[in-house]
Amino acid sequence: MKFLSLIFKNVFRKKTRTILTIGSIILPLLIICIMGSFLKALDAPDPAETRGMFRIVTRHKVGFTNDLPISYVERIRQLDGALAVTTFDWFGGTYIDNSARNFFARFAVEPETFLQVFDDAKVTRGSIDDWMSDRAGALVGEDLMKKYGWRMGDQIVLVGDIYPVALQLTIRTVYGVSYGGSDGLFFNRKYLEEALPSFEGTVGTIWTKCRDAEAANRLSDEIDRIFENSPYPTITESEKAFQMGFVSMLGNVKLLITSLGIIIVLVIILIAANTMALSARERVREIAVLRTLGFTRRMILVLILGESLTLALIGGFLGLGGFILGLKPFKASLMDTPISGFASAIMLFPEVLLVGLGVTVLVGLLSGLGPAIRASQRPITEGLRHMG
Amino acid sequence: MNNPLIRVEKIVKKYHRGAEELTVLNGLNLNIEDGEFIALMGPSGSGKTTLLNLIAGIDRPTSGHVFVRTDDISSMSESGLAEWRSRHIGFIFQTYNLIPVLTAYENVELPLLLTPLGGAERRKHVEIALYIVGLADRMSHYPSQLSGGQEQRVAIARAIVTDPTLLIADEPTGDLDAKSAEEVLVLLERLNIEFKKTIVMVTHDPKAAARARRLVRLEKGILIEENHMDGHSSSGLTDGINVSGISAKSE
Ligand SMILES: Nc1ncnc2c1ncn2[C@@H]1O[C@H](COP(=O)(O)OP(=O)(O)O)[C@@H](O)[C@H]1O
Ligand SMILES: [Mg+2]
Repeated sequence: MKFLSLIFKNVFRKKTRTILTIGSIILPLLIICIMGSFLKALDAPDPAETRGMFRIVTRHKVGFTNDLPISYVERIRQLDGALAVTTFDWFGGTYIDNSARNFFARFAVEPETFLQVFDDAKVTRGSIDDWMSDRAGALVGEDLMKKYGWRMGDQIVLVGDIYPVALQLTIRTVYGVSYGGSDGLFFNRKYLEEALPSFEGTVGTIWTKCRDAEAANRLSDEIDRIFENSPYPTITESEKAFQMGFVSMLGNVKLLITSLGIIIVLVIILIAANTMALSARERVREIAVLRTLGFTRRMILVLILGESLTLALIGGFLGLGGFILGLKPFKASLMDTPISGFASAIMLFPEVLLVGLGVTVLVGLLSGLGPAIRASQRPITEGLRHMG
Repeated sequence: MNNPLIRVEKIVKKYHRGAEELTVLNGLNLNIEDGEFIALMGPSGSGKTTLLNLIAGIDRPTSGHVFVRTDDISSMSESGLAEWRSRHIGFIFQTYNLIPVLTAYENVELPLLLTPLGGAERRKHVEIALYIVGLADRMSHYPSQLSGGQEQRVAIARAIVTDPTLLIADEPTGDLDAKSAEEVLVLLERLNIEFKKTIVMVTHDPKAAARARRLVRLEKGILIEENHMDGHSSSGLTDGINVSGISAKSE
């Protein structure tokens, strides 16, 4: 302990160099922590943090206008990794007129499972039960409510264009989403089935909420394989095209992130080792003087390792501290980007902090090891004769 | 006491430079008695520093022995020798060799960090040592804020703070102006007379050598004893700092 002040004073012997070195530990460490958090988020997302993620959609292979047998829903529900399955049927129809201004999404859905799959939507007014208890009830997005100035209980009439029917819906429930738009109108498919018996037994698209990225990736292949040779072959994709690309690349991405992380660690070690080597070289004489005073080789070794460890720990704590403080704003800034789905799974993983700390200690020890061994092994007389 | 404090016995030290072999010390003998103040002179490159290093236990002889009392230090282990140095040797260098990032106080405290002394006790020892060298008011100065003479006095405080058996000074006035050199010599003389420190000092300066009680010359690898010089060497004492009350330090 009494050597601590000696170690500290030596660490800050060349202030500019020390600060630059600390900086070159902080920044890469931040990057490592961020990359680690991404990896972790991809790997084992917390169900509470994966709202809106890992959704895949199954439709008829030939095109949007071809329906699928409703029995597929039950079949998909059996698959491992499928947390919830729900259906979508495009109704279309006219609200007020056919202008683009009055166009919004209108779907017949299953109220029972709808919010399980679309778990990024939150009910803001009314409840799911309100919606389910009225067969002609509608679930409407906050944005849409605002656009038309609708209120709870308002009646909405959709006049069918493809289908010869007019739907009289009552707004029972309102939903919002934390990012993206909430401008859809959803109603019970049973109501549509009653009005249009031809709807019975078929669905437009089937939406599946998967457990994680792996399941999403696997199921999108598995589902299509199951129905490959049926009269109704399917094509299943991730909800968002980019996510599909991302998911299918997941293995590569992990490998890439991990290798980058290792390279960054090596670079930090080299930078810190360079600082330590310079610092030890400047002090060859001083170290010989310390040994003349009776400091043992072991003490010199510990002193120099202590210095490199101190240097790394200062950088490490600043880096990890910055990471902890910056994670929330960083995550928030990703919410409006295409990777929001994955970003939302990011949180302060203890494992990432542990890895950060481990990297710090590793950098501290490895960067000081060479200089420490060299300094402690040099004969005293040689050190004392050293010039400069 | 019949045993000399230090007994250097048939010391040989050879250096190798490539294929060339350089015999610096060639079967040298030297006895140092308790309380002596020896000046070691000799041409540059004659091996004075080499001899001091061997006596101080920071180098090992090619052959021969260095005994301190009855301990053969040439057969001690590295760590045993380090421990021995910390207790028995105070080394004063020509170029002071203070640690630039440490204050005068911290420099003097360094050897005490190797002892079991607690912080308060260390402080007492450091303050006394700095007081003896006349720099009690410069404790928190860094080496760069001190003159050469002051730096060397801090280095002397560092050398005496553990109350070592033997003080070794390698050209301690070599880098100093006449006035600072005089101060340092007075101080060494006082340490010898008043605090009974045994001192071996290498010097080129005959005036400095005259301060010592005994003069040996190193030539061609062996020592030649000069006549004892007596009497006048205590003259500097009265110029010294008043140390009444703290001389109890050297038991
Ligand atoms: N580590 C070493 N390796 C090779 N030669 C050395 C070494 N140390 C000292 N010498 C040589 O030994 C001789 C004596 O050196 P030294 O003891 O420093 O002399 P002095 O102190 O009397 O000037 C010199 O010629 C010097 O070059
Ligand atoms: Mg010399």
